[in-house]
Amino acid sequence: MSRVVVLCPGRGSYTEASLGSLDPDHDLVRAAERRRADFGLEPLLALDTSERFEPARHLRPAHVSPLIFVKAMIDATEAARGHEVVAVGGNSLGWYTALCLGGALGFKDAFRLVQRMSLLQEELAEGGQVLYPRMNEDWSPSAELAAAAEAALASSGGEALPSIDLGGYVVLAGSKKGVSHLLSTLPQVRIGSVTYPIRLAQHGPYHTHLARSVSDAASREFADLPFRRPEVTLIDGRGRRHSPWSTDVAALAAYTLGHQITAPYDFTASVRVALREFAPDQVVLPGPGNTLGGIVGQVMASEGWSGVHTKEDFTALQARTTPFVLSLGLARG
Amino acid sequence: MSTNRVAVVEGNLDEFLASGARAERLLEAHEPLRAGTALTARRAVELWEDQVLSRCLDVAARELKREGEGFYTISSAGHEQNAVLGAQLRPTDPCFLHYRSGGLMAARSRLVDDGTPLFDTLLSFCASSDDPVSGGRHKVWGSRETWVPPQTSTIASHVPKAVGLAYSLSRAKKLGVQTGLPDDAIVCCTFGDASVNHATALAGINSARYAWRRMNPTPVLFVCEDNQRGISVETPRRWIRDFFSRLEHLRYFEANGNVDEVWDTVALAIQTCRTTRQPTFLRLRCHRLWGHAGSDVESAYMSQEQIEAAEARDPVLTGARRLVETGAATCESLGEIVRTTRERVRAAAREAASRPKLVDVRTIVEPLAPSDPERWRAAATAAIPASDRTEVFGKRLPEAAKAPTRRTLGARINDALHDEMIRRRELICFGEDVGRKGGVYGVTQNLQTQFGRSRCFDTLLDETTILGVAQGAALAGLLPIPEVPYLAYLHNAIDQIRGEACSLQFFSDGQYANPMVVRIAGLAYQRGFGGHFHNDNSIGALREIPGLAIAVPSGGADAVRLLRGAVAMAAESGRVVAFLEPIALYHMRDLYEDGDGLWLSDYPVPDGSPDSALLPGEVGIAHADHSDVLVVTYANGYRLALRAARRLAEEGIRARVLDLRWLSPLPMDEILRHAEECGAVVVADECRATGAGVADAIVCGLVERGFRGALSTVRSADTYVPLGPAADVVLLSEDEIVAAVRAVPGVPA
Repeated sequence: MSRVVVLCPGRGSYTEASLGSLDPDHDLVRAAERRRADFGLEPLLALDTSERFEPARHLRPAHVSPLIFVKAMIDATEAARGHEVVAVGGNSLGWYTALCLGGALGFKDAFRLVQRMSLLQEELAEGGQVLYPRMNEDWSPSAELAAAAEAALASSGGEALPSIDLGGYVVLAGSKKGVSHLLSTLPQVRIGSVTYPIRLAQHGPYHTHLARSVSDAASREFADLPFRRPEVTLIDGRGRRHSPWSTDVAALAAYTLGHQITAPYDFTASVRVALREFAPDQVVLPGPGNTLGGIVGQVMASEGWSGVHTKEDFTALQARTTPFVLSLGLARG
Repeated sequence: MSTNRVAVVEGNLDEFLASGARAERLLEAHEPLRAGTALTARRAVELWEDQVLSRCLDVAARELKREGEGFYTISSAGHEQNAVLGAQLRPTDPCFLHYRSGGLMAARSRLVDDGTPLFDTLLSFCASSDDPVSGGRHKVWGSRETWVPPQTSTIASHVPKAVGLAYSLSRAKKLGVQTGLPDDAIVCCTFGDASVNHATALAGINSARYAWRRMNPTPVLFVCEDNQRGISVETPRRWIRDFFSRLEHLRYFEANGNVDEVWDTVALAIQTCRTTRQPTFLRLRCHRLWGHAGSDVESAYMSQEQIEAAEARDPVLTGARRLVETGAATCESLGEIVRTTRERVRAAAREAASRPKLVDVRTIVEPLAPSDPERWRAAATAAIPASDRTEVFGKRLPEAAKAPTRRTLGARINDALHDEMIRRRELICFGEDVGRKGGVYGVTQNLQTQFGRSRCFDTLLDETTILGVAQGAALAGLLPIPEVPYLAYLHNAIDQIRGEACSLQFFSDGQYANPMVVRIAGLAYQRGFGGHFHNDNSIGALREIPGLAIAVPSGGADAVRLLRGAVAMAAESGRVVAFLEPIALYHMRDLYEDGDGLWLSDYPVPDGSPDSALLPGEVGIAHADHSDVLVVTYANGYRLALRAARRLAEEGIRARVLDLRWLSPLPMDEILRHAEECGAVVVADECRATGAGVADAIVCGLVERGFRGALSTVRSADTYVPLGPAADVVLLSEDEIVAAVRAVPGVPA
């Protein structure tokens, strides 16, 4: 059985192509719908089976977070049957999925966490996140773009902050003023068919101190959330490992409800640690979407992992019969 | 047929874990292993994970070697109890570690969020250029993030610098120099029960006790990992305890027994060192498994019973038993730790083996001697604010002295040291007799009065300690100028420069540096006084040290400018520079005749002018308009050559004289240029003939560069320098230079 690391997606992974991905008869979908009812929110299946993708509706945090969480859980649970999962991580929202998939939280509790956090995010009215590259089209590092991002942060008067380290990209966050500053200051750059900077729709200034109120509320509301030792090693958004045998459960809870929300999320570090400390045969990316595929490839290239140094190397590796990064969302999408 | 002891030890562990042994009650994560210990069940399991990782890496090292992919098999097997130190020391407690520190480093890596000890270690086994510590230059334990400066540690020669850093922490704070470490940081230094017998280690421990006795906070935790054997030689029973437990001014602890007992003793030792700031010695009982290294066959000198007895005390095995019997873990969970760790290591080893190796000289030597002349020039020639200088010198500015206006080399070095200490508040001067007395020859006079005892101080009479303090001080952010009183004494301690100070940038891939300018009084010509020990004329041992720069002034003004260049090289690029001061010229006043005062000099004012400092490659030229022959020389030889040149000129032979100023790197471009202009070269080298000076290298360098003119050398005799008039018989003389120049073919007779 091949040894795999599972990396769970963040909130940017849901797209039009993700519609219709939930199996109404799946146990996890049923369980999720019961929790949705508890919250008085429209069923996930109603969203999933919509005839058309409505960004304002589908990408609303309270909807998109549980949609992604449930879909990722279904994919990852299936993948776990055919592989030995040696470690689990995730990006941002994906950390909650990782907690559940790794066994540190039960499904019901994890769902409650995901759902409630998304609602708390909606209460965080001001500010947002901006995506910006720090690499060139061919994935080579761009000192120029990295410096531009640094300069934009430095000139923001503290209104903009680093939020997520994302392989060849960086997510910056800020207050309303900070986001405006970023969008007006960062030089426009085109990578492929996309022009950056991009403001991420309906994303708040997560992973910065501007989300302190969310962390405070979560710490109060989830003081009794029954965290337990994971069954598989978790790699958090600092790159820290939590093993099934020695995890400090209180520290895991404190990180999840504190640091994870109010300090930058280093997804690059978690991928790097996953590769270097677990040397998996494959990296599995549960759906929906494939936002993390390129990012994992970019981290591999910067690490020189498995002989990958460039975008071309990664493409060649992926073209093999058994790709190194198994993107379940892509496979189905 | 020899048995594979790795398999035996692995099998012992597997057998126990398969036994199904179980405690009556499993402990909660927060429960202590037993009443009274601070070690909880969770921490104990976490620690065991790190020990297992270390063990699996050692197994992998041997497999990699078998496959031709690994190059290092000195293992940590049996020493994994040192993980307890890794778990309890802080990332801001600098560690100087010996080579069996796998467990310690695995545990210490948890102190940073994204540590990757597994892959990092494999890369170092494979000598891959991706190794984050040394860049593939050597298997060393190190880390920039967790303050582990790397070294090879095989002969415990890292002990003096560990002491030096501990000694320098409070000094740096007092001087307002940022160490990046908290006020209660301690320094940990580990070594084995055999290597502690090295003179260097004993000197280090002695100097720590001495410093404490003199009321200096010296928070160093010496850890002797006692496996009771040095390669094949057994350490006498209780040797470590008998010696170190009875020394005054050294707190002594022993950690032995179960992991929880070790945990508590280590905690106490750390706490004692941290709170009392006193040197502390911890004997940590270890058991060496699998021989000294992969190539060492233990059965050649140990009985089967002895080998099996050590294996029975395997800390990973006994640790597993302890965790299971106390209910901290089950055999099943520990078995899973072992299974998954072995798999992780095996898989990562394949990746590590595929990583690139160092393949070109340029990359390998890159961190050895960083060169940045532009930056050096800017730093060395920056003007020192007049107000700062007036504050120190008052109305006695060196350049404003009236009676006389020109001064000796010794006095000028003293002036220059004053100015450099004004320029850099982190600069400190120390050595034997350097402080209160002001140096044997008065070169450091008034520094202590002017700058205080924190910046200019006496050390105990041990060159190893002096150079150890220099390395430690440099790591603390200070800029040390240690003084070695005589060149001959340096040889007693030269490994501190050769094996340690100059290798740090190499072994750390430039991540650590210990900048310093080592002042060494040396060379001969003291009119028959002093004998060999005070007239040593051999710099061969310095010249061969990779990365070391050597400056040698002949006159006072040059000495000032060279010292500025040397200090800038250290400060800006972390370089180690030897500043060799010719004793016989310290107080020399005259050149040709008594009373001519031509060896005295004016003071090059630090006013920002670009020529107020000298950098490598910049030579001194006398009689630039002469071109019959070039005399290449330095120090005393330069003065002799100038006198010879005057005599030769009277005969119509016009000799140009080149003062090398830098003996490493040799200024070969300048030598060649002047050689080509003159067409003939005599190298006048005051060092003894064989391998002690620079004559061989200059002749070879000229020939290799295509110089086809006449070439000859005159050197001192191959002997120690005797006492009395006999000294002049063996040393290079003015007459010999004159004769050598006369003998050059084609020189006008």
